[in-house]
Amino acid sequence: MRSFLSRAGAWLYRRAENVIALLLGIMFLAFIATIVGRYVFNYPTGAMYELTVVVWLWMVLWGAAFVLKESEEIRFDLVYSAVGPRVRRVMGIILSAALLILYGASLPGAYKYVTFMKVERTDYLHIRRDYLYSIYILFLVAILARYAVLLWRELRGKGEEAADPTKVSSGL
Amino acid sequence: MNFASPFSLALIAIVALTLLGLPIGHAMIGGSILYLWLAGLDMGTAAEQLLNGMYSSYILLAIPLFILAAEFMNSGSIMDRLLSFCNALVGRWRGGLAHVNVVQSIIFAGMSGSALADAASSGKLMQVLMTKDGKYPAAFAAALTAVSSVIGPIIPPSIPMVLYALISDTSIGYLFLGGFIPGILIGAVQMGWIAYVARKRNFPVERAVPLRELPRVTWEALPALLMPVILFGCLYSGITTPTEAAAAAAAYALLASAFIYGGVTGRSIYNSLMTSARITISIGMLIAGALVFNYVVTVENIPRTLAAILKTYELSPAGFLIFANIVLLLLGCFLEGTTILLVFVPVLLPTAHALGIDPVHFGVVAVVNIMIGLITPPYGLLLFLMMKIADVTLADLVREVLPFLVVMVAALAVITFVPDTVLFLPRLMGYKG
Repeated sequence: MRSFLSRAGAWLYRRAENVIALLLGIMFLAFIATIVGRYVFNYPTGAMYELTVVVWLWMVLWGAAFVLKESEEIRFDLVYSAVGPRVRRVMGIILSAALLILYGASLPGAYKYVTFMKVERTDYLHIRRDYLYSIYILFLVAILARYAVLLWRELRGKGEEAADPTKVSSGL
Repeated sequence: MNFASPFSLALIAIVALTLLGLPIGHAMIGGSILYLWLAGLDMGTAAEQLLNGMYSSYILLAIPLFILAAEFMNSGSIMDRLLSFCNALVGRWRGGLAHVNVVQSIIFAGMSGSALADAASSGKLMQVLMTKDGKYPAAFAAALTAVSSVIGPIIPPSIPMVLYALISDTSIGYLFLGGFIPGILIGAVQMGWIAYVARKRNFPVERAVPLRELPRVTWEALPALLMPVILFGCLYSGITTPTEAAAAAAAYALLASAFIYGGVTGRSIYNSLMTSARITISIGMLIAGALVFNYVVTVENIPRTLAAILKTYELSPAGFLIFANIVLLLLGCFLEGTTILLVFVPVLLPTAHALGIDPVHFGVVAVVNIMIGLITPPYGLLLFLMMKIADVTLADLVREVLPFLVVMVAALAVITFVPDTVLFLPRLMGYKG
């Protein structure tokens, strides 16, 4: 049962990865279509332009919710990597609890804002804004779930390993 | 300043959460939510700011496309040909391979917008070449790759400059042009230092490539050398927007590596997309956090307040630039570049504006500062990366980096106090600043 669950989890994770690669691929092709459309077919490109920003918004929030590993997030880890496992555990507990409280408190307001946006549609593709922005609710719920698991693990004493400093940066 | 005000508490929360190790993007969103909560404002505002901000930041789409272009170009055979081209140019000098390392970084900078990408792509290869048969000490080779990679985002394209364009409403095209001369200048001072130590430490000379072979070597590297030409051609002829130019460069890189250099498969395209998307998402979360937090900062009128405070000190533009350089260099010792750019630079901008400092000049100075921050201990990402690639200790690496740091800060001073080093090219192309 356990191995079935972890296999299913790994399968789902690979599908979530497929989504971000696909979204970036769409963005790239939409840009090429915009340039070609403008010069070769003299075709108005508002719809393609809008597609690229829609895809950008979804890619970042989807990826942050389901794909990005703890080790890939940009963080300040000078303190975290300098302390021993016991202090690290306490730090993990405090930050997960704080995030759960803050993100949890903002969830109703965010939900209200997103559902309120059903009155608007995007300019070219006429996508309902509440559908477009629903990714934020998905993102909040996924992050809440992730930090709930993290908190649970830290409380039981099975925390994460220290992160790799070259991977916790934006890689400028 | 009232320490119990919602803004102070939010700020304390962000700093505390960041120190505890929460990803910085989440810390900024969380702190901003706390501010809204304490100030009795609608907490849905966080969602509104994040969503509308991300949705209207069309300019940021250049980031994944620049990363993608560099990924497509980053195949082994392209790097080999680029290196033989650089070797034919400067290998005959004393300390030849060291010069090759810098020239390669300058050329690669024209294709990639990221210093870490530069170090990661050429770092391993250069390390092997330079330390083979004990030619160069491992720590010197590693230090050199780290410091030369800094040129990557100063010479366009540049991811930090895209971010600066977003926060300052400055033209990407002019910012990119402004980076050219400073980037070359930094490369030049590095090569100057190499020329000096090469004599002192008797570094080897490479076998001189006969001049008659130069056309062949150039021809083989030409498709890679052409990429910056394509990029800037699209950008400055007005054929495309800057973001579209990034897409055109990525398309060219894909075609060049598929038809000329070979080795492109569906799998490799997928991997390039995946790598680029992951890096983009990491940066994107930081941008999302900064968008929400900058809303709070604006509501509280912080940049203007700071501008007013600084005004009472009657700082001259030069005095302010020195102050800004010191602050940014110090921050760079402890913080990661995107964070400095998105959180601290916006606070300095109104003062720079009030003092009549040109926004393109200020942007390039800020980016050079932040790039130097990548090689300053204790927190220098390029140092960490090269420690891993070259298997040297931080102490040995820092000892070799320090002299480079000194000449680079000297170059930074020139860039800061001679604005023409930045503004000459943009003005040549019609910048009215």
